[in-house]
Amino acid sequence: MFLAIREIRHNKLRYGLIIGMIALIGYLIFMLMGLMLGLANENTAAIKSWDTQTVYLNKNANENFSQSLVSKSQIGQLGSHEALVGTTPVVMKKMTGHASKQSIQFMGLSKKQYLYQKKLELVAGRKPRNNNEIILDESLKDKGYHIGNTVKLNSQGKSLKVVGFVKNAKLNISPLAIGSLSTWQQLKGTNGQYIASGIFSDQKTSHHHPKLAKYSVHEFIQKLPGYSAQNTTFEFMIGFLMIISLIVIAVFLYILTMQKLPEYAVLRAQGIPVSTLTGATFAQAMLLMIIGVVISLIVTLITTLLIPQAVPMLISWPVTILVGISLIVLGAIGALLPVHIITKINPLDAI
Amino acid sequence: MPTIELKNVNKTFGTGIGKVQALTNINFEARTGELTLILGPSGSGKSTFLTIAGGLRQPSSGDVIIDGQNISAMKPRQLDRLRLNKIGFVLQSYNLLPYLTVAEQFRLVDHVHPQNNLNNQELEQLLKELDIDHLKEQYPDQLSGGQNQRIAIARALYTNPPIVLADEPTAALDSERGAAVGREFQKLAHRREKTIIVVTHDLRLRKYADRIFEINDGKIEQTK
Repeated sequence: MFLAIREIRHNKLRYGLIIGMIALIGYLIFMLMGLMLGLANENTAAIKSWDTQTVYLNKNANENFSQSLVSKSQIGQLGSHEALVGTTPVVMKKMTGHASKQSIQFMGLSKKQYLYQKKLELVAGRKPRNNNEIILDESLKDKGYHIGNTVKLNSQGKSLKVVGFVKNAKLNISPLAIGSLSTWQQLKGTNGQYIASGIFSDQKTSHHHPKLAKYSVHEFIQKLPGYSAQNTTFEFMIGFLMIISLIVIAVFLYILTMQKLPEYAVLRAQGIPVSTLTGATFAQAMLLMIIGVVISLIVTLITTLLIPQAVPMLISWPVTILVGISLIVLGAIGALLPVHIITKINPLDAI
Repeated sequence: MPTIELKNVNKTFGTGIGKVQALTNINFEARTGELTLILGPSGSGKSTFLTIAGGLRQPSSGDVIIDGQNISAMKPRQLDRLRLNKIGFVLQSYNLLPYLTVAEQFRLVDHVHPQNNLNNQELEQLLKELDIDHLKEQYPDQLSGGQNQRIAIARALYTNPPIVLADEPTAALDSERGAAVGREFQKLAHRREKTIIVVTHDLRLRKYADRIFEINDGKIEQTK
């Protein structure tokens, strides 16, 4: 550590540039991870905040919620932990005042079932009591929507009144407007033939509906349109960046070590043990990585405070710190190459 | 009593028609309190002699005895320890790390060899003797060649080794500074009871030596 610190202190510019590069890679990784988690959260916020465990869909819907429609004859007796859910994409327009049109998902729920009764976490107002009332995801407050507003969905003639805002009401990146199943039927144009898109349950072992396909929440989420592709893309980007950071630290330490070989040969000739030199290189790699990762964490923290609400970013600090530790471990692996070179130094080269 | 003794030492490199006899039947001893000079032209075998006497290379045959220990059968780690404890090296390249101040060059030694080093008072005394006591906070690149070489000498003596081996220590110095280094070696050998062996082709150092050996074509001969 003595040699590592002294060398970094003496060559501030050289090591500052390396630390800067590590910090930038770390920052990029953390930001991408934040965006990945943020987008994933916007896909699944409603499902996860409602503790959904099991989803039933029409067998012919190809596991796709938006393609699923279930009729009364397809469902058995609903249990107390099961709820009918109908969703459809709509365009919401405010009748008065200034607010842009919003592309959202309408979700119809039954007042008698557990989702409506227990899972909706209101941040303002109250739950809808009739077919003419809806509640909106809280993000729509920032888009100019308020309690008491009247809105129209698609080109439907009927006006709906906003009576509350609800937390974590997002599905497949769209904010939700939650109202009755009857309104959903009108919007979907099912003429009463279908009563919902599917059934949500907050239990793993639920009532059996033999005419419907049963999915775990994990399977259901993976099949949300674009969800897997988006996450896989981010995971590959993060994975490649981590490999790049490993290569960067290994290459830099290799070059620096090659430049120091004559000095190290002299030290070896004087009897300085190999372990002192390898320890210094290893400590240097650790110091560079730790300083770089800490800087990137601080910059990430500042970014999360400054970034606009509209950007779907979610920093999970436990995951972020775990990735930070992984980067430091990669630095240690990157140090193995120069360490190997040091073990091969011949003290005779000093003479 | 001899501190370094080479008995019937031979060293060959390569095999077959590429075989080179670098040292032939070397018998040599260096004594405590003496400055011994090894002279010889380039390619004569001086460096091979120094590397064998310093425990950096094993002879093809013969014995090398350093401070009473025969090093012929020692393992690399034992040789590392021996060099660290018994031998101070002064090399042409000054053996100083560019990113450590003069004071830190000594602290590095404390990290790997905490025992028997000079205490602060003794170090201060040595630095004064070498006229470098005012340079402790300087980096090597802020100093002249002569100052760097005197620091390298102080660094070699810091572990209080009985033996100092110097390889062309005046090669990069002008005649005045070269002479100063010669005087320092003579003084250190006599005052501090060190065995100092200087391998060089710098004939200016002859007048400071207690004994002189010459190596030619791998054979050694005492001339003083």
